[in-house]
Amino acid sequence: MYFPYFMIYIGIGFAISLLVFLWALKRGQFKDQERARFLPLEDEPEPAKVTVTKFNRIEGYALIFLAIAGLSATVAVLVFSFFSG
Amino acid sequence: MNDKPKTGLFAYPTAAIFCLTSIFWMMIATFLGLLGATLLIAPDLTEGIGWLTFGRVRPAHVNLVLFGFVTPGLLAAAFYYIPKLLRTDLFSEKLGILSAGVWNLMLVAAMVTLLAGQTQAREYAELIWSVDMMVILSFILVIINFVLTVKHRKEPILFVSVWYAGAAVVLTATTFALGNVVWRPDSGALTGIPDAILLWFYGHNIFGLLLTPLSIGVAYYVVPKVCKAPLYSHTLSLVGFWSLIVVYTHIGTHHLLQVPVPTWLKVISIVDSVAMVIPVSVFLINIWYTAKSKLGEIHADIGGKFVFTGTIMYFFVSIQGSIMALPQVQRVTHFNNWVVGHAHIGVLGFSGMITLGGLYYILPRITGRPIYSRLLADFQYWLVLIGVTGFAIVLTVVGLIQGNSWLNGETVHRIIPQIHLYYVIRAALGLMIFTGAVIGMYNFVRTLFYNPEETS
Repeated sequence: MYFPYFMIYIGIGFAISLLVFLWALKRGQFKDQERARFLPLEDEPEPAKVTVTKFNRIEGYALIFLAIAGLSATVAVLVFSFFSG
Repeated sequence: MNDKPKTGLFAYPTAAIFCLTSIFWMMIATFLGLLGATLLIAPDLTEGIGWLTFGRVRPAHVNLVLFGFVTPGLLAAAFYYIPKLLRTDLFSEKLGILSAGVWNLMLVAAMVTLLAGQTQAREYAELIWSVDMMVILSFILVIINFVLTVKHRKEPILFVSVWYAGAAVVLTATTFALGNVVWRPDSGALTGIPDAILLWFYGHNIFGLLLTPLSIGVAYYVVPKVCKAPLYSHTLSLVGFWSLIVVYTHIGTHHLLQVPVPTWLKVISIVDSVAMVIPVSVFLINIWYTAKSKLGEIHADIGGKFVFTGTIMYFFVSIQGSIMALPQVQRVTHFNNWVVGHAHIGVLGFSGMITLGGLYYILPRITGRPIYSRLLADFQYWLVLIGVTGFAIVLTVVGLIQGNSWLNGETVHRIIPQIHLYYVIRAALGLMIFTGAVIGMYNFVRTLFYNPEETS
């Protein structure tokens, strides 16, 4: 008997989501999207100039190295999964 | 808004307390993680000390990372940005302080009970009933504050971060109560396969419907602020939000592909796991386009740096998540350390990084003082980043060794010598992360209480 619990779980989540979506639709939450893009920036002061130093560049290379290392690990899993045994 | 001061601890007490909660429990949680990793290479280390055995330390680590470090940190940021975005004050700072107090009591109770061996023995749902109720109460208090703040808003449009934060706490309150089977206080469980199904709906949703939306909410607020640029597309962000709500709720059963659960449920979980590329792509495209040509600004702000790195980790963990749901891949990656590596990229690399970014972003703004030491913050960044990337690599290697061994019919004990070296490296990486947590705690405390310098 997994159905009652599964249906309650999904049902409650679905009902809440649907009600909130309808509320949002009725209240015009999907309108005026162009202005919404700027909401975090209200009263924001002018940006300060940022200078890129040599250390910044080294840090950038280190980040790229770590990203490649992480991606290589994922690729290794795919290779082993699809081509081993 | 009223005329109260806009900076200083007393201007944002709820955000400040949740901030301290997060940074303190990060230290405790990562120490328990380090201890657990050490016990894997030196099992006799805590011999005779029952409450420090691996079986108790591990769930304490997991629950404290989840509810002690990441969630309160993300909530601290939400308690700061929600009133800002809605052009109003938080509905009740007193209620916020009360919720933070209940939250910390719950964390103490969680740690004590788990280390005392009081557990319901369901992965990610180990907390006993009384602590479960404290978690639910904490979430209800937060929900009341969020909802009433939204109700009293002066800005009619809800920015996408508000949507994400609201959904996270409302859906988690539901998920937690059902997933922990709170109507059965004695066991906190159903029986047999139905319990496994319900548990993994909860287990995955606690990441998908709590940490993910809270983290995305912080990223959507911090990245435009740091870049001083509008969000690339608010419409796109709402598409991402609603698609996440639709897709993420059904994927928990991909943890049970080797289990006799109904096939249709497995199919739904696999299809939706792959479909997660939609909300993930939408979010990443939106954030990365917002930050396009602004990497200098991101780099200059330690909060932005943590958050942006978190989005890159989200890319990695989401690729993994979609791929690992495929049965052909999962036959190698399941029931071994590959999953542990995946979990660390998600919870520490993605949510943890964004948590720290959110905290570093709001800290100078709620205190009116600069971060005590940018150097220490950068040091913490690199310790955590190298630690979590190292975890990903080392645990992937161990996972592949174990996964292929299981496929070849090897027994567990014959593999242990092969993976011992990797476990040592894992513990070393854990030490880096714990060190980062201690440095962060020091930096935060100095910024909050012993740093008289005022910002201009």
